[in-house]
Amino acid sequence: MKIKQLFTTRVIILLFLILISFLAIKPTLNTEGVAIRSVDLNSSAAFAGIVVHKNLQPTDYERILEINSQKINSLEDYSRVIDSGEEKLMITTDRGFYTLLNENIGITVDRPASNNIIRGLELQGGTRALIQPSEKLTEQEYQDLIDTMQNRLDVYGIKQLVIKSASDFEGNKYVIVEIAGATKEEVKELIGKQGKFEAKIGDEVVFNGGDKDITFVCRNDGTCSGIRSCNEVQGGYQCQFEFQIKLSETAAQRQADVTGNLDVNVSEQGYQYLEKPLDLYLDGVLVDSLNIASDLKGKAARDILISGPGIGASQEDALQNANDNMKKLQTVLITGALPASLNIVKMDSISPTLGSTFEKNALTSVLLAILAVAVVIFIRYRNIKIALPMVLISSSEAFLILGFLTLIHYNLDLAAIAGIIAAVGTGVDDQVVIVDETLGKESANWKERYKKAFFIIFAAYLTAVASMIPLWTAGVGLLKGFAIATVAGVTIGVFITRPAFASIIKVLFNE
Amino acid sequence: MKLDAFLERVYEKNYKKLIFASLGMLVVALIILGINYYSTGSFIEKDVSLKGGISVTIEKENLDEVEISDYLNQKYSDINVRTLTDLSTRKNIGLIIESSGIAEEELKSVLREKIQFDEGQYSAEEYSSAFSESFFRQLIKVLIFAFVLMAIVVAVTFRDFIPSLAVILAAITDLLVTLAVISLAGIKLSSGGIIAFLLVIGYSIDTDILLTTKLLKRKVGTMYERFAQSITTGLTMTITTVVAVLVAFIFSTAPVLKQIFLIIFIALIVDIISTYIGNASILIWHIKNKK
Repeated sequence: MKIKQLFTTRVIILLFLILISFLAIKPTLNTEGVAIRSVDLNSSAAFAGIVVHKNLQPTDYERILEINSQKINSLEDYSRVIDSGEEKLMITTDRGFYTLLNENIGITVDRPASNNIIRGLELQGGTRALIQPSEKLTEQEYQDLIDTMQNRLDVYGIKQLVIKSASDFEGNKYVIVEIAGATKEEVKELIGKQGKFEAKIGDEVVFNGGDKDITFVCRNDGTCSGIRSCNEVQGGYQCQFEFQIKLSETAAQRQADVTGNLDVNVSEQGYQYLEKPLDLYLDGVLVDSLNIASDLKGKAARDILISGPGIGASQEDALQNANDNMKKLQTVLITGALPASLNIVKMDSISPTLGSTFEKNALTSVLLAILAVAVVIFIRYRNIKIALPMVLISSSEAFLILGFLTLIHYNLDLAAIAGIIAAVGTGVDDQVVIVDETLGKESANWKERYKKAFFIIFAAYLTAVASMIPLWTAGVGLLKGFAIATVAGVTIGVFITRPAFASIIKVLFNE
Repeated sequence: MKLDAFLERVYEKNYKKLIFASLGMLVVALIILGINYYSTGSFIEKDVSLKGGISVTIEKENLDEVEISDYLNQKYSDINVRTLTDLSTRKNIGLIIESSGIAEEELKSVLREKIQFDEGQYSAEEYSSAFSESFFRQLIKVLIFAFVLMAIVVAVTFRDFIPSLAVILAAITDLLVTLAVISLAGIKLSSGGIIAFLLVIGYSIDTDILLTTKLLKRKVGTMYERFAQSITTGLTMTITTVVAVLVAFIFSTAPVLKQIFLIIFIALIVDIISTYIGNASILIWHIKNKK
């Protein structure tokens, strides 16, 4: 008979919000197959009609269940089938059936998510760089910087990345780049450097990187780009890459003007070259020097062959190094230089396994902490009617905070987990006060007491919220997760869970 | 004997001494921090997140901390090796190596000579010293801001000089004594640690406000009865939190979380003393003075 009485307005509001959190987090047990996270343009997957919509929730990605009648249950299964050399792939997903050629597939897959909580970098693994331009930039330059970086990473082929600007309250501005998967070295090379490319003859710059001077860069096409030779040199191997580019007319003319004034030299082997070579510089470092054939003197030649080296202890290493260098140089030639040179002021690369260990143990410790609190509460009151509501309310508080973070698409990080624990801790404290005050001998008029207590509770609440605000931007918001979780937690506590708890206690102990 | 009678027997005669006992604890902390400042130039040693440097984690089971530490210390002066443990499986799951003096690439290749690991087992964080120092300055400002806000709220709530001061003094005691304790334990403060101090401010004043309200604003029962009630409620609050952070400290793996939990744990223990010995005695003295 009392059960019905328990559903006061406050409790119903709490239950309603728990339901909303549940729908937002959407825990699912069905995590068969592998999730399709992205599909490249003009890939065979795109042609087969596989589409990945933008802004999907983690649990909403289409899942590959079978390929060529083989069950796909892990990323390993997926790569095994793809690499098996079958010409055609017949893919069954949870939504449809596709047939595509096993060539330039263009699908990125990941393990399917079991809920919609988005894990931050520390928990899912990846690389994060906090970058500060070495000089003050205007808003426009700042935007250019971010656009160029984005473009550079796109061209290089890095997926699943976030680039955003950030500032702190000392007035410093930064760019934050977060990438799931890429290695630290790649990120350092791609965005830690300005990528200022200059082709010089003598001291004169004839062309730069970027689409103003370079209209076409050949890549992924063996006929005009690739590794041309590998030789054993002192201490290892050296390979030479080569790729073709096309200059704009003005850049070609500039080259013609400079080469027109050069003399012709004859080499020992009888080749005729201009007296000065074409020197290629990347960020002020000489990448390669190319001899210019004498017949190009004064000619506005638009096709240029760019080359450079790669070195390594073994031939394989040298080949890999040359390939990497080529890809980087191609990327820089396509995207041009960043508007300023940059300093990487903070860089993290967290391995996915470390991230998941942190996550698993952090969540276990939250659960165990709540359990431990329950034990203490039970020992103190020796009454399940107090201990049980307290544990349920505290757990629901943690769940509501998680739901809120998911709704606002905040990435759960360690700071946010700490915030959740802190908020739940404060919640338990307040519940103890509520129990002692309501059940104490001194219980005069509950309403009167609550009114009096309200001022203190509210003042304490405002202090907690106000003191978290500076954390939003302090140190570029690295601890923002803590502030958000704490503010959400104390707000939920003061307005939702604690009133619900008070009403439950009142009903349970009102004889 | 009932709690209120016990409190009366202890506090009635000794409340003045107890004020000095609590103050004495604060003074000792100040001396420790002063010595730190005098000998090293800062009150507490900061970790790489607050002073710049690198922190590398190699996730591989059963690496020998002492062996690696000796090996690295032969080559470099400023290096710190810790074990990463996963208590839920009771395993040593890796090593954390911190340094402010070596480049990350160099440390990585030096480590490779001693340990076999692949990229998936390797995590690294790098902080430039300029950034970390600015980060530290900003966090200290946040902490001071929060403290001042708290003091204003306390002053407005009680509108009485001595009780407000007593609450603020208890908060200062919690912060500084905890800082002294962690410096004695040789713990290097991280950015997470500063967050913990932010929380300590909140947890600290909770019990003090409860105590002050009970002793000054409520009228039912004798002063010692109300004191006893506030101890029962306050200690329940503190003990639940102490147990929760202790469990969380034991079972979490992430170093930043571990430090947060440890600092709150120490501060809450200190808070029991500063609240029920320091603050309570000041209030008793204040009540007796007013009579």
